[in-house]
Amino acid sequence: MCIGASRARAGQALVRIGLICAIFAWGALFVGPDKARAEPTQLTYALYDDIKDWDPAVAFSLEVAVLANVYETLVRYDPEVEGQVVPALAESWSVSEDGLTWRFKLRDGVQFHDGSALTAQTVKKSLERTIELNRGASYIWSGVEAIDAPSDLVLTIRTRVPEPVDLIASAQYGAYIVSSDAADNETAWFSEGRAVGTGPYQLIRWDRNQQIVLERHTDYWGGTVDSDVDRVIYRIVREAATQAQMIRTGAADVITLTSVAALRGFERQEDIVVDLVPSWTNAQFLINTGKYPTDNRLFRQALLHAWDYENVATGVYDGAAEVARGIIPKTMWGHDPALKVPDFDLEEAKRLLEASGVPEKDWRLTASFIGTSVEYTNALLLYQLNLAKLGVRLTLKPGPWGKIWDEAKNPRTAPHLQSMTWWPTYPTPADWLVSLFRTEDAAIFNLSHYSNPAFDSLVDQGRALEVTDREGAIALYQQAQQLLIDDAVGIFYADIRSRLIYRRQISGIRPNPAYATIFIDDLVVEP
Amino acid sequence: MYIVRRLIYMAFLMLGVLALTFVITRAIPSSPVELMLGAKPTAEQIEQARQSLGLDQPLIVQFGVFLGNLFQGDLGVSLRTGQPVLGDVSQRFAATAELVFVALLLAASVGIPGGVLAATRRGKLDAILVRTAAVLSVAVPIFFLGIVLQMLLHGGLGWFPLQGRLDVNTLIDAPFETRTGFYLIDTLIAGNLTAWQSALSHIALPALTLAIATSALLFRVTRSLMLDVLSAEHLRTFEAYGVPKSRIHYRYALRATLIPLLTIVGLTAGYLLGGSVIVEYVFDWPGIGGYMVEAVIANDLPAVMGGTLLLAFTYLTINLLIDLLYYAADPRLRA
Repeated sequence: MCIGASRARAGQALVRIGLICAIFAWGALFVGPDKARAEPTQLTYALYDDIKDWDPAVAFSLEVAVLANVYETLVRYDPEVEGQVVPALAESWSVSEDGLTWRFKLRDGVQFHDGSALTAQTVKKSLERTIELNRGASYIWSGVEAIDAPSDLVLTIRTRVPEPVDLIASAQYGAYIVSSDAADNETAWFSEGRAVGTGPYQLIRWDRNQQIVLERHTDYWGGTVDSDVDRVIYRIVREAATQAQMIRTGAADVITLTSVAALRGFERQEDIVVDLVPSWTNAQFLINTGKYPTDNRLFRQALLHAWDYENVATGVYDGAAEVARGIIPKTMWGHDPALKVPDFDLEEAKRLLEASGVPEKDWRLTASFIGTSVEYTNALLLYQLNLAKLGVRLTLKPGPWGKIWDEAKNPRTAPHLQSMTWWPTYPTPADWLVSLFRTEDAAIFNLSHYSNPAFDSLVDQGRALEVTDREGAIALYQQAQQLLIDDAVGIFYADIRSRLIYRRQISGIRPNPAYATIFIDDLVVEP
Repeated sequence: MYIVRRLIYMAFLMLGVLALTFVITRAIPSSPVELMLGAKPTAEQIEQARQSLGLDQPLIVQFGVFLGNLFQGDLGVSLRTGQPVLGDVSQRFAATAELVFVALLLAASVGIPGGVLAATRRGKLDAILVRTAAVLSVAVPIFFLGIVLQMLLHGGLGWFPLQGRLDVNTLIDAPFETRTGFYLIDTLIAGNLTAWQSALSHIALPALTLAIATSALLFRVTRSLMLDVLSAEHLRTFEAYGVPKSRIHYRYALRATLIPLLTIVGLTAGYLLGGSVIVEYVFDWPGIGGYMVEAVIANDLPAVMGGTLLLAFTYLTINLLIDLLYYAADPRLRA
């Protein structure tokens, strides 16, 4: 009886506590709106995922969105400007006649966010740290023999063979300069959310999975931040629907995710701008040259003619792509508008299939692609239909990248067609030609398993000429590209255009295909 | 004795869950190495990463190493976030726990009285209305509900923030230290009312969404439990003696349903801790559900193991507590 009574009392207490808590919880619904206060000019950028690597020597993913505003490189690439490479931390530079020694004259009076000054010693230390860590994109420096700092503001970089160090130094990954004190630290120190660069904005706080906050670096190059943005908030928003809602209500100024349905809505809304800008990302299907029946050249050529280039670019990509001409995108130097490329022609495809000598019973193919991509899926469904008209059966094998990549690397498990989206680590067409098609002992990205000594030699010669004779290099790259198309090693179908979605009061955005980011310093925000 | 037996049992169960998860994550034909290295690794980098992950070792050795590290409190570093898993997981777990706790309070405060009402006033208009509302609230998919609430209460009326846990400017102007990971508590400890209010207004919409979906369950369970209890003879006797109805319903009948009801609430909480991922996504609530989904998709081995460990532990603990509650309440189990 006694026990029963105490239990009853405990029960009552529990119920009461519960009731009080519940009232409290309902109270949350009546707190009312978050008060908006008068703030310094502020920009909210909805980012689709959080930063993984804060260490600029390691970062190799979406980090550029933030890091490019916090850190700077020696030079910057700008396709709109004559000569394309423009000064950043280096004011001027030159290369020795043999193309092996580069000399950079650094800007005077540049301060890091920790107050220290930029010197050639700091740059040397920073670059050497990146090279020694050997992670992320550090391999862009693999040709470097020595870095020296003959004086406070002069840096020399010597390479083993001629390398376009000006282009390499402008890379969006692996080329950022960190302060001397910061460079003493391990990656783990950066991973706590630390960044010490020279950029126009400095990192104020990072709340994991929630936001990154930057504020104006008041001592930037002696106080010359052009933009009137004082504070930038990168809010992590993973849902396209939430991002759309944010830009509609003004909770975000720039968004990075969208759905087709949301786009149609934005077009009707006057205060939202949707821009399509060229990027250096392109999409292709690599054709396995080592596997029957796609080891047959005529058979592969037939596959190129069965692809409906125009409909994929305008329909499947909804305009966010242009039909590609070769593997080098239109806005990259070295692109060849005169390249002879195959067109969509089912009759020609049929003729080639029959000429190939592959018996019709073997006209069966597999295609692996990243299953979450609507574009890949729809493009392949269209392709499947067109191939079916020719009597070719295409089996679709969607999967996550880790899985399909592993299978594609292994010649035994590789599919006939492999999806591949590519962009250059630094601004050179050689990135596509070398990474995707140069002979590899064990395949990493050459998922066509293509090996052609004539092609290899053209590319190697081209790379050697990039420094001393850019026009000569381009001519060789053009020949190499034509070889790829004649050998039908891939269906090069789309130069991707990125979508920029922002509120109309923002102006001054200068899209640059070399950097997957918006440089906040360029922006003007109307109140 | 009973408790000791249960604890040993739980330890074996945990080991089983871990071993199973370990084998499954390693058996999927997908290499986690790419995840560590970013977009375009070199062959050399891939080999280095494989070795540092121990992927070149036999599976049993890998599992041994994992358990050894586990007993030293080391869950490894997430391949995807590059952060220690323990920190990641506990931070994310606190966020979900806070959300689930508030949601359950909202749900219980509507669902339970609703259930009592529906049971005691069967056939009356108000009971029918409550039942209809309950059916509707389970019928609406939760992501849709979340988005509708966003459009209505953020987009339309502007009452609540759209997503996230706190207003950024509040964080900058009035920062506070996170101790428990429950922002509603941390801000109070810091005496920071501005931030507390911001946290409260941010949790409102996700909690409401989760609560609406959960309240229907609590409603149904309460109703059927009440119907059972109300048919018991002693209550009919009370009624015959003229004890007021409200006293019978809330004092005697509801109390008799309390333990099974708590079981359901407990299990629901356990389920929601891992299963509120859709709400977490819609509202960008940085919780454990979303973390697990991302970890599984990316085959982030250490994160999957760490998350599984925590969720299994929580679920088993809640189960244990419920059983102990029964044990305390029902003398027959003690015999």
